[in-house]
Amino acid sequence: MITLNGEGYSWEEGMTVTELLNGLEGDHDYAVIRVNGKYVSKPHFDEYQIPDKAEIYLIPMVVGG
Amino acid sequence: MTEFNLKELKALNYERPEIERGYANQTLYVNIGEPDIAVKPVTEQMKEIFIGGKGFDLWLLWQAVTPSTRWNDPENTVCIASGPMGGTPSYPGSGKSIVAAISPATGSVMDSNVGGYFGPYLKFSGFDALEIQGKSDQDVVVLVDGVDQCIKVFAATGLPEDAYALSETLTDQFADGNPRGISVVSTGQGAVHTVMGCLNFTWFDSKRKRVRYKQAGRGGLGTVFADKGIKAIVARWGSVSLDSNKPADKETLRSVGKAYSKEIVGLDPKQNQMSKVGTTHLVPIMNDFDLLPTHNFKFGQHPHAGLIGKDVYKDIFDPGFDGCWMGCTVACSHGVKDFVPLTGDYAGQKVFVDGPEYETIAGCGSNLGVFDPYFIVEMNFYCDAYGLDTIAVGTGIAFVMECFEMGLINESHTNGLDLNFGNRLGALTLVHQMARGEGFGKIVGQGIRGMKKVFAEAFGADPVVMQDIGMESKGLEFSEYMTKESLAQQGGYGMALKGPQHDEAWLIFLDMVHNYMPSFEEKAEALHWFPNFRTWFSLCGLCKLPWNDIVPADNQEEKEPAKVMKHIRWYAQYFAAVTGRKVAPEDLITMSEAVYNFQRIFNLRLGFGRREHDTIPYRAMGPVTVEEYESRQERYDGQLKEKYKVDIEGRSSEEKVGLLRQFREEQYVKLQDAVYHRRGWSNDGVPTPETAKRLKIDFPEVLEVLEASG
Repeated sequence: MITLNGEGYSWEEGMTVTELLNGLEGDHDYAVIRVNGKYVSKPHFDEYQIPDKAEIYLIPMVVGG
Repeated sequence: MTEFNLKELKALNYERPEIERGYANQTLYVNIGEPDIAVKPVTEQMKEIFIGGKGFDLWLLWQAVTPSTRWNDPENTVCIASGPMGGTPSYPGSGKSIVAAISPATGSVMDSNVGGYFGPYLKFSGFDALEIQGKSDQDVVVLVDGVDQCIKVFAATGLPEDAYALSETLTDQFADGNPRGISVVSTGQGAVHTVMGCLNFTWFDSKRKRVRYKQAGRGGLGTVFADKGIKAIVARWGSVSLDSNKPADKETLRSVGKAYSKEIVGLDPKQNQMSKVGTTHLVPIMNDFDLLPTHNFKFGQHPHAGLIGKDVYKDIFDPGFDGCWMGCTVACSHGVKDFVPLTGDYAGQKVFVDGPEYETIAGCGSNLGVFDPYFIVEMNFYCDAYGLDTIAVGTGIAFVMECFEMGLINESHTNGLDLNFGNRLGALTLVHQMARGEGFGKIVGQGIRGMKKVFAEAFGADPVVMQDIGMESKGLEFSEYMTKESLAQQGGYGMALKGPQHDEAWLIFLDMVHNYMPSFEEKAEALHWFPNFRTWFSLCGLCKLPWNDIVPADNQEEKEPAKVMKHIRWYAQYFAAVTGRKVAPEDLITMSEAVYNFQRIFNLRLGFGRREHDTIPYRAMGPVTVEEYESRQERYDGQLKEKYKVDIEGRSSEEKVGLLRQFREEQYVKLQDAVYHRRGWSNDGVPTPETAKRLKIDFPEVLEVLEASG
């Protein structure tokens, strides 16, 4: 089990960020998420494996300074 | 205690007007050369067309100068304004001041949006804007005292040179027991000797019991300030409440402000955590997307970038709730307590440093090939103390370091300084020299445009190479984002009215990452809409960060999520609640469009503002060198083959650099065509008389400029 934006979410061994996002409802354009306080960016979504009990926040948009 | 003297030269007692719906309905004029003090009325037409803030600044500046005015002429005028919503304590990001003058860096109109308490205090003291004109042969301090209802001009002697000590001294001098009621605008000795002087705007941090700072950094406005002989401007005011702006609809204002504040408090911890890390969160993100400038914008990524990002600074920042205006829940103005510099006059002493923010980290860190967080804090500290713009300093020194490594300049030109990338002591030595106007630093202080001229004429450096790698446009140094893979952001920098600063448009992610705007027309639409909406914040006395750095949880369900329409609807309500002027969200763009076009026409009036002025160095478009090309060869080879249908088999890297350049430069020209068309401008980038008429800025003198501009 992980938490996603503060709510419980099911977890599977080896789950990547891409797989997590593909499982969400609706359209999304997330380029960055935060996993246990660290950013993971889109170039790494396919390879980054989410650990169990991770605390994840989806960063809606990156808009610069 | 510093021994100093303030001798009164001129004073004017006045009766403070009641604020009405966000306006004081008058402006203050001070000529420090005479000296002279006058109060001018604000007309209904000014409010309708120019709104306030930057709009008022530009209108007043237009009246003050002529087409032949240069930055150091006495008639050049430093204009500072808040805006109708400026000073609202309940709505996040509502304390901004906007400064404008003719710039020593660009020779044209410059504007800068800055936090601190000055703008609101100026307005509550009775003035929507302040104009300071003339030049004094002695240091002067101007006091706008809204409590005692008087304006005073003092001759000043013995005041400290650096901004920190100066602002503290003047806050103590005028506080009369209430330091929170004082805001000081000042610069430092760096502004005297360079064209990149910034202005420090203060507020008093009651928790830490110290003066804090934000900077109006861009374009050398501090240099104009220093050239006039202005030591400081001080505003004095009492308490602030939701009633201070006498809003037209207080209940709606309270309600919309509360909703916005609550949203930020709820969402910022889940999103960018700016209340803890400021804008340092951008460092790792930009690095991951190859957008963090390193080594003079050659590359966008570095394996050591994690050493200067949010995870480091969150532990270096002094914890606390740090807003640069009262009640702002974004609270991103962090600082470093008990920092001990290794160099300069403060070496070995504990100081408080305001910052660093993303731009300073990228400019004075990665772009110099330095990944030492404490070095960046020291650069931040001395730039502020000397009154220097950290962006211009960072981008300028990055250019110097690349010239040094390329052999365009050498130690015989730098007076023995080794200025290879990564040389921390060399960079700090340069900053100290720039501030004192000494040694090689004196040349660096003239900015990249000035350096290119000196390096070519005096040192024999190749001007063509320097044109490609010198990251300036219109004479202003680039702020700190890589644009090679975002054509829209190349336009966002190149076609920005004042020069390459991202406050007009930041489209990199929308363009490069999300591909929201694949066609030239879609890019042009974005380069119409975003610069105009971002301009609107500076008309109203607002900060743009709350708009789209904290995004509603359901934003993705909006038709155009990039515009964050829920917040724009709130801004329309906010504007109406304060001013009583009913507006729809789309009206905000029209308001800005009038001022935006007026500024473009102002540029024309001063001899700028055409297509030829909207160019950018090739480093901003693509790889200048084989080293850059080969570092991302797969990307560039792929583009040549797939996008431009080039057979690259057997071609050398040099040939491929040339081919890519040809395509990318053609694309930029096509983008300019599309943007000018969308903005209602001629193919030379000149607003048409029809556009001026539609926006109600078809004043006779404006039409004269347009007629003379063809």
